[in-house]
Amino acid sequence: MAIAASADKQPLIVMRGVCKRFGMVMANDAVDLDVFPGEVLALLGENGAGKSTLMRLLYGLYPPDTGRIEIDGRQVIFGSPRDAMAVGIGMVFQQFSLLPNLSVLENLLAASPRAPWWQGRRRPVMNDILVWLNRLAPKLDARRRVSDLAVGERQVVELAKVLNLDPRLVILDEPTSVLTPDETARLHGFVRHLAAEGKAVIFITHKIADVTSCADRVAVMRRGRLVEQGAATAKSSDDIVSAMVGRTVTSRATPVRLRSQVPRLQIIGLSTAAGHSNSPIRGLTLSVGGGEIVGVAGVVGNGQTALAEAIAGLMPLAAGEVTLDGVSLACLDSGLPPAISTIAYIPERPIDNAVVADLDVAANLELRRLRQRPFLGGSTGMDLAARLIAKYDVRPNNPRLAASSLSGGNLQKLVIARELSGAPDLLVACYPTMGLDLIAADSVRQRMFDHAARGCAVLWMSEDLDDLLQYAHRIAVLFDGRLVAVVPREQASRDRIGRLMAGIERQDHAA
Amino acid sequence: MRRDLVDPIRFAPILVMAIVFLLVAMAFFVSIGKPPVRTLLDMVLFAAGDAYSLSETLVKTAPILLCALATIVPARLGLVSVGAEGQLFVGAIFGTAVVLAFPNTPAAILLPSMLLAGMIGGALWGFIPGILRGRLDANETIVTLLLNYVGVLLVNALVFGPWKDPRNLGWPATVSFPLAATLSGFFGTRAHLGLVFGILAAIGFGVLFAISRWGRELAVLKGNAKVGQMIGLSFGRQAMLVMSLGGALGGLAGICEVAAIQGRLQPGISVGYGLTGFLVAWLSGHNPVVAIVVSVLIGGLIAAGDSLQLYAKVPAASAIILQGLLFATALAVGGLAQRWKAARG
Repeated sequence: MAIAASADKQPLIVMRGVCKRFGMVMANDAVDLDVFPGEVLALLGENGAGKSTLMRLLYGLYPPDTGRIEIDGRQVIFGSPRDAMAVGIGMVFQQFSLLPNLSVLENLLAASPRAPWWQGRRRPVMNDILVWLNRLAPKLDARRRVSDLAVGERQVVELAKVLNLDPRLVILDEPTSVLTPDETARLHGFVRHLAAEGKAVIFITHKIADVTSCADRVAVMRRGRLVEQGAATAKSSDDIVSAMVGRTVTSRATPVRLRSQVPRLQIIGLSTAAGHSNSPIRGLTLSVGGGEIVGVAGVVGNGQTALAEAIAGLMPLAAGEVTLDGVSLACLDSGLPPAISTIAYIPERPIDNAVVADLDVAANLELRRLRQRPFLGGSTGMDLAARLIAKYDVRPNNPRLAASSLSGGNLQKLVIARELSGAPDLLVACYPTMGLDLIAADSVRQRMFDHAARGCAVLWMSEDLDDLLQYAHRIAVLFDGRLVAVVPREQASRDRIGRLMAGIERQDHAA
Repeated sequence: MRRDLVDPIRFAPILVMAIVFLLVAMAFFVSIGKPPVRTLLDMVLFAAGDAYSLSETLVKTAPILLCALATIVPARLGLVSVGAEGQLFVGAIFGTAVVLAFPNTPAAILLPSMLLAGMIGGALWGFIPGILRGRLDANETIVTLLLNYVGVLLVNALVFGPWKDPRNLGWPATVSFPLAATLSGFFGTRAHLGLVFGILAAIGFGVLFAISRWGRELAVLKGNAKVGQMIGLSFGRQAMLVMSLGGALGGLAGICEVAAIQGRLQPGISVGYGLTGFLVAWLSGHNPVVAIVVSVLIGGLIAAGDSLQLYAKVPAASAIILQGLLFATALAVGGLAQRWKAARG
């Protein structure tokens, strides 16, 4: 329908021959893109395909090398996002730009051009400023501090902040990656609503579900080029995926059959101290058998971090115990994990938690063996590094390069290479495929399953429910630091897990 | 790893820095009414023109280098210690205590035990901020800064009080050290063993940081303490260790200064060596081997400043002003170099 409508409509945005190069990488290569008022355009592509770069050009964060951008038929050159906002372009980033110490209201005021210079005079503009927030989330109290909000709520505030500028084009950068299924559905509805009001929306995503439920048109990017465009209804999800990847994809990774029920990882009555994290674990009991894959579902910030760190021996336990084959994994009094070499741990946000950015790739790959090295001398680690770099396709292929010069996805592969290269008895993996392209993600899953097939117990936290529904033997759902349910795959459905994640449904379980 | 010992990227900015500093220094001489080029050449002569000047330069180099190492060792863990000055004073106290307690011991026993005591004193003065950081996460920069005052005042308390030599009449100082407790200079100059200690320590730590497992462990903890914890490295324990080791070097600077130059413990044994050492550490990019060279240069600057004041009648503060200008130049050029690097991506 949107195609028909747009045929006789003037495009709001016209991009022609837009190129942007970063060093050796052609991030955007002669991109032509039109955006019409009143339509939702889903912009798809794998990580590094150039979606974010293209949108940043449009938002004035940096200028294109060549090519032109027109708005309402007039060419524009943006010096900064301020210029882009002035002509009606607003963008909601993946990393939110809210000030955590301030209240919701104060954040909205700070971002508004109508905000008075003196706090005492804010009353007259307050109602204006809260209009969008009240429409998006009528129940959200604007006096709450942003740091106390859940991720989904923060996103709503961020969106309200952008809408307060009354943009004609709203760019959403992977907005659904942090939301529960319910929240996602609400966001989709709201995006449709914005389009109905005549606004243009660009929805950056790599989830097919986002396309089918709210997009009018699809644009797919690959390696900096726009490779596919068309009406959303005219494209099947297979079309879109193969356009993203460049060839037909069939998932290689196969889930393992559960062989034994002997519990290896046993967590009994685990609680973590509130002082050590924002969302502690409270009284969690769970066991994972040899060869078993237990998926952990939950909205970010419901205790996943505390659970993973407690098992990895990095966070002191307030109560309960964690054992692997009967040996305690609990953090020692010194704050260090016990010396057990049979645990593989892939923490969330590897750049913050799992790599030393100043050191080179080889040193980072060797980290797990560092303590075994003799005081002086010892191997350079180059052989190991070269082998792992090749096996896990870490790019660029140079063990001497500082880890800080690798992209997020390659750092993720580096950490996975290091942790999965041994023969662990327990694997704790937090969002191991997040940010990886489809093929790399598939190969990571396969390696995890290989370990499970060997008899390794696997605890897998994922943001991708479909992954868990397809591969995990059981799905444990965390809400507010508690285990609200453990559902065998056969009994699990997207709806049910979604309701559990949102804390709507609870199930008394015997784990 | 080799890169750690000699970093070629560092040399271009250093050259620019040197040229800019010379121009700034000449402008300074003009501003106080001295012929710029003449005065500059005089400075070089006063710093290294003959054997005596050179030896005076090396006299200044010794404590500066040791204090620079006292900063560099903790900096390898990412700690910012400004405590070399206090460690120097406390090292002097501990070493002096040994001499005062056993003045008649032969040199073969007295000298080593005096030096060892000095190092223990300094190590203690480093350990305090180390354990406060390691256990309680107290900011080591502030603790070391405050302990500097305590160290200096402890010396005052002793030499004005219990350790004061009554024969000095009003002068606050201990008795002169016996010959057995004197670090004699080389070849009849005042240049002393402290310099050798400094160079050996610099090379030793340089090698350790570059190729030992410990050096790598410090780099891991500095870069990401969380990763260090994951592989079983304790930041707290290492904090105590590097602060104590650094402190020991600061303490060694103190007792060497007393035993070689002053001959007795008295106030004013350091003319800001601790802070100068901190700046040298920064200038040398926390590389111990580079610090040797930078220490000699700064030692020359200070020695030449002293001579200029005597012979060329420039104001007494000139040496300190020049030092300040040098560091300001280094900061500015360093900042620009970084921006230049970032711009080139």
